[in-house]
Amino acid sequence: MMNRRTLVKQLFIIAGGIAILPSCLREQGGASIVLQNIKLSASDEDFLAKLAEIVIPKTDSPGGLELNLHLFVMKMVDDCESPENQQVFVKGMQALKDNSESQTSEQLLTSITALEGHKEGDEAAFFKIFKNRTIQGYLNSEYVMKNKLIYKLIPGPYQAAVKLKA
Amino acid sequence: MANINIDSQKDRTYDAIVIGSGISGGWSAKELCEKGLKTLVLERGRDVKHIKDYPTTNMNPWEFEHRNEMPYAIKQENPIVSKCYAFHEDAAHFFVKDKEHPYVQDKPFDWIRGYQVGGKSLLWARQTQRWSDFDFEGPARDGFAVDWPIRYADLKPWYDYVEKFAGIAGDKDGLPELPDGEFLPGYPLNMVEKYFKQSVSSQYPERKVISARCAHLSKPNQIHFDQGRVQCQNRTLCQRGCPFGGYFSSNAVTLPWAAKTGNMTLRPFSVVHSILYDEQRGKAVGVRVIDTNTKEEIDFYARIIFVNAAAINTNLILLNSKSNRFPNGLGNDSGVLGKYVAFHNYSARIYAEYEGLQDYTTEGRNPAGGGYIPRFRNLHKQETDFLRGYAAGFGAYRGTSADRSGAGESLKNNLLNPKLGNWQVGSHMMGETIPKESGQVTLDTKKTDDWGVPLLHIAVDYDDNDAKMKKDYLDTMEDMFKTAGFTNIRRDDGSQAPGLDIHEMGGARMGLDPKTSMLNKWNQIHSVPNVFVTDGAAMTSTSTQNPSLTYMAFSARAVDYALAEMKKGNL
Repeated sequence: MMNRRTLVKQLFIIAGGIAILPSCLREQGGASIVLQNIKLSASDEDFLAKLAEIVIPKTDSPGGLELNLHLFVMKMVDDCESPENQQVFVKGMQALKDNSESQTSEQLLTSITALEGHKEGDEAAFFKIFKNRTIQGYLNSEYVMKNKLIYKLIPGPYQAAVKLKA
Repeated sequence: MANINIDSQKDRTYDAIVIGSGISGGWSAKELCEKGLKTLVLERGRDVKHIKDYPTTNMNPWEFEHRNEMPYAIKQENPIVSKCYAFHEDAAHFFVKDKEHPYVQDKPFDWIRGYQVGGKSLLWARQTQRWSDFDFEGPARDGFAVDWPIRYADLKPWYDYVEKFAGIAGDKDGLPELPDGEFLPGYPLNMVEKYFKQSVSSQYPERKVISARCAHLSKPNQIHFDQGRVQCQNRTLCQRGCPFGGYFSSNAVTLPWAAKTGNMTLRPFSVVHSILYDEQRGKAVGVRVIDTNTKEEIDFYARIIFVNAAAINTNLILLNSKSNRFPNGLGNDSGVLGKYVAFHNYSARIYAEYEGLQDYTTEGRNPAGGGYIPRFRNLHKQETDFLRGYAAGFGAYRGTSADRSGAGESLKNNLLNPKLGNWQVGSHMMGETIPKESGQVTLDTKKTDDWGVPLLHIAVDYDDNDAKMKKDYLDTMEDMFKTAGFTNIRRDDGSQAPGLDIHEMGGARMGLDPKTSMLNKWNQIHSVPNVFVTDGAAMTSTSTQNPSLTYMAFSARAVDYALAEMKKGNL
């Protein structure tokens, strides 16, 4: 007999601390995580997932999609950004999504790279927040902190004068 | 059934009561219990047991829901505590939230509090510099406040005593303005900190850059192992509570030691309403407590009372302890209670870069935080158009950065291969402020908190002296930075309100004359000899050094004196 705890655990996929409800919300056309302040649909989420994979693509190591960075961005925008930023995030995302509907990933990469040069406009404002949060999620992900830029809870003795190899 | 133990006055009577369980209260409790006194320790907040109640202590960054960032709504709800550098997901549970414990800012004052067993000793920045006669003689020499009733020689043996037990890491630097102590090995300065030290001393021989002294077990002694502590593991996650007992806190050190004697009764959830004064007997007889769970009012009794509620709350309790004999607060014959409250001026910082020493970096983390520049301004004599001076922190680290432009594989690759950049350096000022009569805390005449205690008003502000000192700090540091060849110098004369330094002091100051002070040279209320105040409220002036170590020394010294007086039958 499966105990309740194990069962509950299996209902959630824990992605970097975010509990994802895999089916019920999405079946109703909503996002797969609970959002309190911003409203995103399943198709918005798919678009953000596509963007996250473009910003941090899968190479010989996992990319944005596999690391669920889009969910991290959604969570952080929902909880940690100001209402003004939340508004511009949703508005800018909608505009970019509409404008890039027929674009391939390569074309989208060109579009978002171009957005970085723009100081104004909702799309640029959206992408700035999206990219910062994606990078934050990536660098603070369990994968990167365990395999790439290794974080040590106990770092060992403080070495005040480490000579670098030439 | 539940109240059976508090039904009889006898069961509510102890030899000693300690109000507060933070840095000073923990020390009072340890000393009293060790000397055999049945001691009741009252704490207004919840219990926090060492290790067991440090829920975040072993969490990795990715395990925090928001990667240690505070959610927007919480920041909006808590504008005061959100300004504190340590208020993040990993330690937010140890801070008082604004709404739960309101106070009135007659002038802007960010009052940062930790209401739990251990108080702010869990959260403190652990810097432990002794005060010297340059500090204790300051008011008399420069004509402000009142003369301290003690000198360094009075406190020296007690600094020795508390340092050995607490464990203080530091170098013996031989500076009269910052006396050496009973140190464990100090933490090393890194290459740029050392370089700056040399640069400064070659230009200005009277200015020193030393390794900051801190309450960390760099190399524990037997006494620390006996406390159940081991060597500091250099995690620098101290604000979460340390499972190694690597830094000093009441929770890890003094309270367990006091508990081991069997003489301590720790009572959390106990807000002290007032100290009870018996007019016939001419002394304090106990403490009135509100149980925060039941809202019940309970009186406890003892022969001696130590007030260690943290500077401002100690003032609040004394002000609220009114009787026919003391209509303006316990022991307040002089009228100075609640006045001459001062703080440390932390309102300026300066940053720069250093392009040299590119072939060096550091590894790991330094619990001491880097360097410390003891006060040099107006040290031997008055040199400037402002009184007193400042100490400064100084730290350097080798920055890394990654090109974050673009998107895709190149971005990913850049992020995973950050490049070492220039050394980044920074300093912050720790200015002495002059206690003034106008620097006051007072009680609201109508409004009370949830426990029927009057709301506190705080009216403590910067003055012209602070502004001049801040400018001098920035000019002086900029000059020393330039001399050292630092570049990209950025002055930050931030507008932070008093309070955020978390070094509020005074209000029940020590002094020689009962007409102008609350406490005598033993931290004893002049007119109520069985009440002692050994936390920040007792401070006559503020010095530039961090005050906590001095509170520890005052607490141990006052208990020693109280015991001797009890033996003589004087208390």
